[in-house]
Amino acid sequence: MSFKDRLMAKIFTAIPSLGRRAAKSILSTGEGIDMKREIPWKPFTKDIKDARVALVTTSGVHLSGDTPFDMVDPNGDPTFRVISNESDIKDLTITHDYYDHSDADKDMNIVFPLERLREMVAEGALGSLAKEHYGLMGHLKEGHVETLINETAPEIARRLIADNVDCVLLTPG
Amino acid sequence: MRELTEEVGVSRAVFLKWPMGHPIGEPNFPRGQRVVIERAFDALKKIEEPGTIIDLPFRWKRRGDFEVG
Repeated sequence: MSFKDRLMAKIFTAIPSLGRRAAKSILSTGEGIDMKREIPWKPFTKDIKDARVALVTTSGVHLSGDTPFDMVDPNGDPTFRVISNESDIKDLTITHDYYDHSDADKDMNIVFPLERLREMVAEGALGSLAKEHYGLMGHLKEGHVETLINETAPEIARRLIADNVDCVLLTPG
Repeated sequence: MRELTEEVGVSRAVFLKWPMGHPIGEPNFPRGQRVVIERAFDALKKIEEPGTIIDLPFRWKRRGDFEVG
């Protein structure tokens, strides 16, 4: 992780229009994303009060004792980290140098709202929470995008289906 | 970023024009965080067309916005 990337992360956070311009330039070069893919769709028929919910975030969240995401590879890290539903939010940390997460470091719920979801389950506003939630880091380039699409995302989907999860709240970094 | 969400093609999304790194809101403001999460879950049924993005009406650091919605 270079000083330049760290600086750019600060600048993009402070001046979102510059970040949007950078995102457009990434998209215009392709970066391995097939834009012609059909948007996946499944109607949601359950009452949310009965639904089983998981969190998936690309904000770089993982358990402090787990292996951090690779910040040396300039193309990012396409792997995922399992975050057990039993985890204490105090045991979570963020490894993601491509955005300014100083506020999330103060309150992890702004990127990984586990405590809010627990409150909703306790109040009966949600059915239950999944056994596991998943952390990824959303700065992927070159071949890592294909790895995400062809390996990482399908593996997470398999695990969610095996746990009878009805819907997922996805949060970016 | 809205443009990225549009291009990637997400089934359902809610969007807030807030600084990066704050998808659920301000730190230590559980009331606001909760409203954003509820609106995201509302979108599960509200959105009927794949790829729809709902723009939520909350302005950054305007806590009063959460009291009327």
